[in-house]
Amino acid sequence: MDHSKQIQDIASKLFAENKIDYFVGYRQNAIDDSQVPYLISDPAEIPRLVFTDRSVFNLANYLKPEHTRRKRVGLVVKGCDSRALNLMLTESQVKRENVYIIGICCEGVLNEKGEKAQNCIECVMPDAVVYDEMIGTPTGKREYIVNADIKELATIALEKRADYFEDIFSNCIRCNACRHSCPLCYCAKCCIDQETSTLYHGANTSSGAMHALMTWSLHLAGRCVDCRNCEKACPSHLPLHLLHKQNESVIYENFQQHLAGMEKDDRGAFYKYSLSDPDDFIL
Amino acid sequence: MARVGVFVCYCGANIADFIDVPAVVEEAKKIKEVKISVLYKYMCSDPGQGMIRDAIVQNRLTSVVVAACSPRMHEKTFRKALSDAGMNPYMLEVANIREHSSWVHQKDKKAATEKANDLIRMAIAKSIANEQLHEISVPVTKRALVIGGGIAGIQAALDIADARIPVTLVEKSPSIGGRMAQLDETFPTLDCSQCILTPKMVDVASHPYIELIPYSEVIELDGYVGNYKAKIKKKASYVDFSSCTGCGACTQKCPVKVPNEFNMNIDKRKAIYTPFPQAVPNKPVIDATHCTMLLKGKCGICAKVCEKGSINFKMVDEVIEREVGAVVIATGYDLWDPKPYEEYGVGRYKDIITSLEFERMVSASGPTNGVPIRPSDGKVPKNVVFIKCIGSRDEAKGIEYCSKICCMYTAKHAILLHHKVHDSHAYIFYMDIRAAGKGYEEFVKRAQVETAATYLRGRVSKIYKKGDKLMVRGEDAQIGQVVEVEADLVVLATAVIAPKDNPSLARLLGVSYDKYGYMSEAHPKLRPVETAKAGIFLAGCTQAPKDIPDTVAQASACAAKVCGLFAGDTLKKDPMVSTINNEFCSGCQNCVKVCPYQAIVTEEIPLGHGSKELRTVAKINEGVCQGCGSCVAICRSMAINLAGFTDPQIINEIVAI
Repeated sequence: MDHSKQIQDIASKLFAENKIDYFVGYRQNAIDDSQVPYLISDPAEIPRLVFTDRSVFNLANYLKPEHTRRKRVGLVVKGCDSRALNLMLTESQVKRENVYIIGICCEGVLNEKGEKAQNCIECVMPDAVVYDEMIGTPTGKREYIVNADIKELATIALEKRADYFEDIFSNCIRCNACRHSCPLCYCAKCCIDQETSTLYHGANTSSGAMHALMTWSLHLAGRCVDCRNCEKACPSHLPLHLLHKQNESVIYENFQQHLAGMEKDDRGAFYKYSLSDPDDFIL
Repeated sequence: MARVGVFVCYCGANIADFIDVPAVVEEAKKIKEVKISVLYKYMCSDPGQGMIRDAIVQNRLTSVVVAACSPRMHEKTFRKALSDAGMNPYMLEVANIREHSSWVHQKDKKAATEKANDLIRMAIAKSIANEQLHEISVPVTKRALVIGGGIAGIQAALDIADARIPVTLVEKSPSIGGRMAQLDETFPTLDCSQCILTPKMVDVASHPYIELIPYSEVIELDGYVGNYKAKIKKKASYVDFSSCTGCGACTQKCPVKVPNEFNMNIDKRKAIYTPFPQAVPNKPVIDATHCTMLLKGKCGICAKVCEKGSINFKMVDEVIEREVGAVVIATGYDLWDPKPYEEYGVGRYKDIITSLEFERMVSASGPTNGVPIRPSDGKVPKNVVFIKCIGSRDEAKGIEYCSKICCMYTAKHAILLHHKVHDSHAYIFYMDIRAAGKGYEEFVKRAQVETAATYLRGRVSKIYKKGDKLMVRGEDAQIGQVVEVEADLVVLATAVIAPKDNPSLARLLGVSYDKYGYMSEAHPKLRPVETAKAGIFLAGCTQAPKDIPDTVAQASACAAKVCGLFAGDTLKKDPMVSTINNEFCSGCQNCVKVCPYQAIVTEEIPLGHGSKELRTVAKINEGVCQGCGSCVAICRSMAINLAGFTDPQIINEIVAI
């Protein structure tokens, strides 16, 4: 999968026609074969744009900062990224007319070891769901697979699960990189950071981290698109997908096979009410 | 430092019998913010409230906790006591130790006492974080919407309109009048139903303050007390009412005949029809389900004979909007279908009819010109058996409740039968005679003595055919024997039931209804006219079976309630509404989506101080907000707070237990 040339052509065209102020893509990292997000405003930098199976990051996250929020941005999105973008559009964070979306029919990206990433193996929607221009051949929606780690999690007794998570998350250093890397964590001020809030405790302890991460995962329940930007950003290499995939599987099972961001104007399972909703479980 | 007063109520024996009240009082004293903790037999009484007022002044209290019954009962009472003592009324917290503890834990005094302690601790902790709040004033739209144009709706509309308040009266059928228009004479005075009803119907049509919208239904109601917005669907009548003179040429010439529901399908009406001669408005409508022009595109005779050209086959349903401040529901009743009484041969024997069919027959303007006949052969019946409680008080086949009016109208039918057919005889099978009401018992006596109706106490077990007669076999419990009566006609007093559309209407209006489909009142004794939703009232059989005097009384009560509501230019509203902290709002608009009252809109505010760039945030319309808290729960950024239930208050409560 190498779409570098096509993306460079589109970016040149967009700058030439003055359709965008910024273009967000990927460029080669200087020190190894990995790639980093690349935000340009100067057409001279277009030749450095690349797209391969090393283009792992979710670029929708770059619509969050104030300097791109109200500007016209050209953006490259894979299937999962486009779903996050869809939610940002639905939740009024991005104006559709402000973004030019280059959708990729993704063939899966690689992890650090050079193998196909787990979330790509389990991917339900490799094609971009929202786009202005599509690159590649769409392969359509795939069957939902329950994550292998979640199946394993189910074998741990309920009463031991809190300890299990507390143990895992004891390595959290509360740097909030997960939050900053998530395109859907766009709040003006996170509830966990509010000085006036007495609900959350912000202590940098394992229970404080647990509390923060659990709250975070619940705020993303029914919205997380499994792009794993948070895991890639985490300096402590926490398996954050355990929280999100657990929520996702419960929601998929109980709310008419709901998957986040697949359709426009779908705010997620928690934001709609129907009389047939089950009420016999908790996340 | 907060200074809290705790006032614990015995509630006579209601609380004191099941909770160790003195221990609860002592327990509260252990909390350091509590400056006074006392108990009294009836806190809601004047001396009880006096204790609170005095304690507030003497102990310089900053908040008050009353441990008593549900806040639904007396929160307002105690708030008033607080403001009388010069304290902000919203510094009150009520710990409900009656409904939530003593009543539900009557078998375990120790546990009930512990729970009461917990409830009081929570209330104390919450009250410490209480903030001073002030009532909100909202403007009132002084127009009432009355749903249903029976006698209840007519009376309510007239009484409200007489107070010079505009009324919109919506009636489902082509004419107002309702069930009462179908009746012949009315108990207990036997005055003619039409004669006393039709003048009122005409008054409705001619009243300058009443807007009558017939042949239409309410399909949507948004808003809140004082400011509702109703959407009304005017069904296509295919007749232009403004030019139609009601001459009746169209109904005469129409070739399509369909069963006449006004006459209980005893005779036929046309596909273009006015329901009855005295109809208001006296304009015909076309029944789209039977008109051949509308169904097949052939005929159009009515359009040809209409001199005014009022027939318009292209007419479509129209939706209109009205802004109203209050709503009166008066949808009336239906009658129970006696089909389950198979042993009576219902449906098999033509000469078994329902009371309303009998009523139409004895009506002078009815299908048989006031003479009761046997549907099978058209002969005038001599022996008529009336059977009461068909469906009523019948858990097996019908409904559990008593329909209230059948005893009286059956007595009336016996008298009317005697009036119309002098040599007839009425037999009445009954379970009890329920004749409570002014002149009612005397009326039943009149049926028994004057018309010599035979009252047989007992149930009918079987009806079978013998020749052209019906043999009614039943028990006469007073002589303890099975009796058989040879009848020409059998009349079943079928139960009164709620209209089948009541539940869907109730959901649309946001009011509650009971298991039978009747609309629920706010309190069965003390608020029988109001629903639990402010500004929506009940009149007549939409709430429960009622006779005409009760219905009219309740309709007038509704009018008094509506006039009371509209007495001022603004309405006072509890200040428990949501507020948005713009600093934290990310503008995701989830709150806009979850708000059931459409109380949240968006607004554009500057991005930063003095900035020209704008960002979108949510904005609460506090007049519309009902304080349900849905937006608070959905907001991820915790930008929304509900006054009276703020995060610190809730956290304090949780920490306290």
